[in-house]
Amino acid sequence: MPSSGFIERRSNKILILGVLLVLSQIAAIMLLTSAPAEALLGETIYGLRSAFHGLLAGVLMVTMTIGLFQAFRLWTGESVSIGDLETGSVLNAAICFVTIVLGNWLYIPYRAKGGPRTYFLENSPEVHKIFFEFKEFTALFTLPLAVAAAFIICLYGNRIQSNRILRETTALLLLLAFFYFLVAFGLGAAVTKLKPV
Amino acid sequence: MKTNLEKKGAAQAAFLSSMIGILTLSAVNLGTEISEAFKETVFNIGKLWMPGAEGIGPYSGKETLSLLAWLISWFILHRMLRSKEWNQPAVLMVFLLGIGVATTLLWPPVTHLFLR
Repeated sequence: MPSSGFIERRSNKILILGVLLVLSQIAAIMLLTSAPAEALLGETIYGLRSAFHGLLAGVLMVTMTIGLFQAFRLWTGESVSIGDLETGSVLNAAICFVTIVLGNWLYIPYRAKGGPRTYFLENSPEVHKIFFEFKEFTALFTLPLAVAAAFIICLYGNRIQSNRILRETTALLLLLAFFYFLVAFGLGAAVTKLKPV
Repeated sequence: MKTNLEKKGAAQAAFLSSMIGILTLSAVNLGTEISEAFKETVFNIGKLWMPGAEGIGPYSGKETLSLLAWLISWFILHRMLRSKEWNQPAVLMVFLLGIGVATTLLWPPVTHLFLR
């Protein structure tokens, strides 16, 4: 009977999700109670800020890359799911905003006396004066570009598919957001490798 | 006046205002490199509202002014252009040129040229 088949499938799905939830809880408890998190986060009290900023930047790398892929599809005129595009672009812009806020939070210990900025200015000034200064501004470029892309996608919806100007403009915004994010991400990772906060 | 989705003016306002925000960031940064008094003013603007502004210095004011320029210009341009058609190649050229100029002026070796 089709109805009983449907019930059986639904039950299985709930069971699998339930098992996954329990396993993830067990794994989380084990990790939280036994992992030497301080070794992972670093020796300073600012390790957590750094971890959060890095984590969000990692997530942003994923959403920006998806945005780049969608931009390519828009540019070449391939069919895209507007629902996915809307969700993805709004998520991308939101994560971008949170990453910048966390970047500001992390910038405080970076600039503090005895922080990485002091270290670079004393030992290798060009790292701060050229690479970090460029990174801190290009990171800010990503927000208006990502928000503009999300706004156009959400406002025009399915009209984007059939309108070349809108498709190409949205693709361009997503491409530029990805480019400036990549510059900031790469330089941020390099600077952190040289002297973490 | 309602937004006319057939004429794409609202999209034009969105990306032009993002360029204005980015160009403002670049111009303000250049100003702070050239003038100490301007740098202090920018820092004071950041301190007006941003939590932790003391710790991040004039960067807080640069972010604030860029954000204000972006959002205010978006509001104005959206109202002006939402029911208008755009001249696509010219506007996109202006947009790309603006982003290019902002990037060039923010590249520190170029910024430092203005200090000599």
